[in-house]
Amino acid sequence: MANSIPPFLLDPARRASPVQGKGKVKMPFIEKGINHLAGVIKRGYVYWELSSPNGFFQKIDGRVKVLFLLFYIIIISLKKTFVSEIYIWIFILALVLLSRLPILTFYRRVIFFGFIFGFLIALPSALNVITKGEMILPLVKLSKPYHFWVYHIPAEVGMTKEGIYGVMRLTMRVINSLSVSFLVLYTTPFPEMMRALKVLRIPDSFLIIITLCYKYIFIFSRSVEDIYLAKKSRMIREEGSKETREWIVGRLAFVFRKTQLRCEEVFKAMIGRGFSDTIRLSGFKRMRTADWFSGALLFSAGLLFLLI
Amino acid sequence: MQKIIRLEGVSYSYYDRIPALSDISLEIGKGDNVAIIGANGSGKSTLLQVMGGLRDPSRGKCFFRDAEISERSLRDRGRLKFFRERVGYVFQDSDVQLFCPTVLDELLYGPLQLEIGEREAMARAVEIMQMLNIEHLKDRPSHMLSGGEKKRVALGSILTINPEVLLLDEPINGLDPKTQCFLLELIFALNEAGKTIVTATHDLTLVDEMQAKVVVLSEEHRIEKIGDVGEILGDQDLLLRVNLIHEHVHRHGATVHKHIHSHYLFHRHEDAKAP
Repeated sequence: MANSIPPFLLDPARRASPVQGKGKVKMPFIEKGINHLAGVIKRGYVYWELSSPNGFFQKIDGRVKVLFLLFYIIIISLKKTFVSEIYIWIFILALVLLSRLPILTFYRRVIFFGFIFGFLIALPSALNVITKGEMILPLVKLSKPYHFWVYHIPAEVGMTKEGIYGVMRLTMRVINSLSVSFLVLYTTPFPEMMRALKVLRIPDSFLIIITLCYKYIFIFSRSVEDIYLAKKSRMIREEGSKETREWIVGRLAFVFRKTQLRCEEVFKAMIGRGFSDTIRLSGFKRMRTADWFSGALLFSAGLLFLLI
Repeated sequence: MQKIIRLEGVSYSYYDRIPALSDISLEIGKGDNVAIIGANGSGKSTLLQVMGGLRDPSRGKCFFRDAEISERSLRDRGRLKFFRERVGYVFQDSDVQLFCPTVLDELLYGPLQLEIGEREAMARAVEIMQMLNIEHLKDRPSHMLSGGEKKRVALGSILTINPEVLLLDEPINGLDPKTQCFLLELIFALNEAGKTIVTATHDLTLVDEMQAKVVVLSEEHRIEKIGDVGEILGDQDLLLRVNLIHEHVHRHGATVHKHIHSHYLFHRHEDAKAP
């Protein structure tokens, strides 16, 4: 073998130290974005799996928590005033603190999604074009009002008091819904969640899809992260956008192919282990007194929120 | 001997939750042949990735030829080129490493990135293909190769850069015996030719064959011991402690044996008892 080593591999003639100051290398935004997204998915999974088992919510039976989630989502959607949404927010915050969840990470995620899916999407409705009312923030002045089909654009376009109130209420609604969902997700191990959903008669096909997605999103996010590291290990200079695009397309095809192969393997493994079309779960525990008590407490609080 | 890689108190944890490395200090000399061994999850691959400048340590520092290696320092074009043309990383999963349309493109990718002339790059690729016996695969896309062929191409794609240091993550895992033997001989020859080889593995057979300096990682992600291969593989207590060998019951004809087992090295029968 030693004789077949190409001579260039034996050539040690190189600079002894780096030539610095040739400028900075930028990893293309899209590559960094893919890696970041994979990281977010994995981080979410890890936090979910490793959430402290000693908090208040972690000790409650999964069935109680799933019912709590459904009940509170309905309450949050029914409340019409901003103030009552604030009360619910304070109550959920107390539950998060009692459950010893990492508060900053928790609310960073809630506020990020709440900002996008609550505030930004609802923001145009604050304009007097959509919500009539008392103008408090004029934005544009037109020469005359316009009429188009069923739409009326007034001469002065701006935000109304009623519109802003509506946006704030909707944003709080989204934030509260997300908080309740994340609270349950972060405090309930996945198998327990599946058991609870099964008890609630969620169709088996739906549970199979959730189970497979849960496992394979994590596996493929790890593949994506490895792909990124492999690229990084061979990146000697900055690449042009054409090369980056080609790399991304190639890797997308690779992940797609790998996903297909893995799906077939998983299905064969499931068939090989006697899978028909139903999920049979074992180990349903009896509800403890503490579970009944906690459930009653959460239910009573929910009723109170409905009344105020 | 000139030190080429140096780690000072390196710790790493995934997502601030899962520890992977804990206070690792290590020096690797030029031309060394080092094997990092440990049970699954002990942090071997993470340690290799820190050395390869692919992960920034949560604490501590990593140096290559006395220059600190970090995400920040590798943003400098000159330093990045200096480091990447000297340190090659071969991933455990060859699929993630191979992303060019054909095998030949894979081999040319590194030299062309280094702005080596096209003629010289081609000459390197041809020589490497001859060495690895993959000339007949040159126009084939990587997804149409077998596991062993992919591993050869992955190694070849790094060798065309002619790095000083080769970081190999489980290089013979899942390969057939013939390919394993071929790669072992190749790694040995590259080390003889002056390359620094760092291999992460849990395969004690490979460590014994390579006659490497051995770094043992414990399941607590710390360095348990550093020593030569005879010293480490002769220490049964150490290998039991780090979970690299275990007690095993098996049958020879009508006799059932129970002994410490690593599938290769501790296959002795002093304590054999008839059932």
